[in-house]
Amino acid sequence: MIKFLLPAVAFLALVALFVAGLNPKRDIHALPSPLIGKAAPQFALADVLDPARSVGNAAFKGQVYVLNVWGSWCEPCREEHPTLLAIAQTNLVPIIGLDYMDDRTKATSWLQRHGNPYQVVPFDKEGRTAIDWGVYGEPETFLVDRQGRIVFKYISPITQEVWDREFVPRIEAARRGGPS
Amino acid sequence: MRSARPPDPRRASLIVLAALVGSAALAEGAGLAGAAGLAEGAGLAGAAQGAASAVTDANGQLQSPTLQARFERIAANLRCLVCQNESIADSNAELAADLRRQVREMLVAGKSDQAIYDYMTDRYGDFVRFNPALEPKTLLIWGAPFIMVIAGGLIVYRVARRRARLPLDEESAAS
Repeated sequence: MIKFLLPAVAFLALVALFVAGLNPKRDIHALPSPLIGKAAPQFALADVLDPARSVGNAAFKGQVYVLNVWGSWCEPCREEHPTLLAIAQTNLVPIIGLDYMDDRTKATSWLQRHGNPYQVVPFDKEGRTAIDWGVYGEPETFLVDRQGRIVFKYISPITQEVWDREFVPRIEAARRGGPS
Repeated sequence: MRSARPPDPRRASLIVLAALVGSAALAEGAGLAGAAGLAEGAGLAGAAQGAASAVTDANGQLQSPTLQARFERIAANLRCLVCQNESIADSNAELAADLRRQVREMLVAGKSDQAIYDYMTDRYGDFVRFNPALEPKTLLIWGAPFIMVIAGGLIVYRVARRRARLPLDEESAAS
């Protein structure tokens, strides 16, 4: 009996593996970031809206903040933009908008047209800061805790649901000091 | 001693399982070898199309042939995260161009191959390497083909031996 069961169990395990692998909800491009729990890379770049001003994440040290990687050329960024505006309205956390591989004029008019949810908009024209943060697609959104560590990374457009489910509890936890 | 029972389902399923495991192992092995081979071939083609920058000459080649050779090897071994089955040497994605620039600059700055691979895996994870380092957490990737071949082989061996022990007439009745 057991000898009959064993292949059956093995077969079912294989089926389960295939079902999990083919799950349409699974994003095959989403990769776990090795930067989670590590110190957020420092940067200082000119601001898109004010080229004379150098902006970076050093100014946000000691605060919980969100870094959103976007570009005016990035269609899915347009999709998540209303959500970011709504989040900015709540004043829960400051949002840094890292403008990735963009054109300054286009980025400026994009923000004027659609609204600006960002406290600062560092201009990463050559994508060096993005590489440092392990960015490989837009939009990507990072959450950094008060100790300056990356606690969470979300790839793909943020929706209100994602924000409430994934970000808000982590922001509250980071504010309380843990999880470390 | 002739028996009228139908073919042994246990044996049939064992053979199916052995075939599954065996083919999975083969595919795995071929996949690894294939990816490495592709990446190897892509190195030469991709290196020439990199955007010219301060560290390269008009043809996009690094000044030193030694560095250029190292660059081609490294670029062929790094996965483009946008088009995940291409190396950064092979890919036209902007991210791949940026990563190629990063590799060139690190080479010119005198960084070792290991330092460059470490820089990439620190940011993008082991997935960025087509040829991940052999370490505890990548043991399963490297070991899987061998485990599967051995498991498949054991099963085939057991089935074959059982078959050999069967009387000839039962063999023909069962098959």
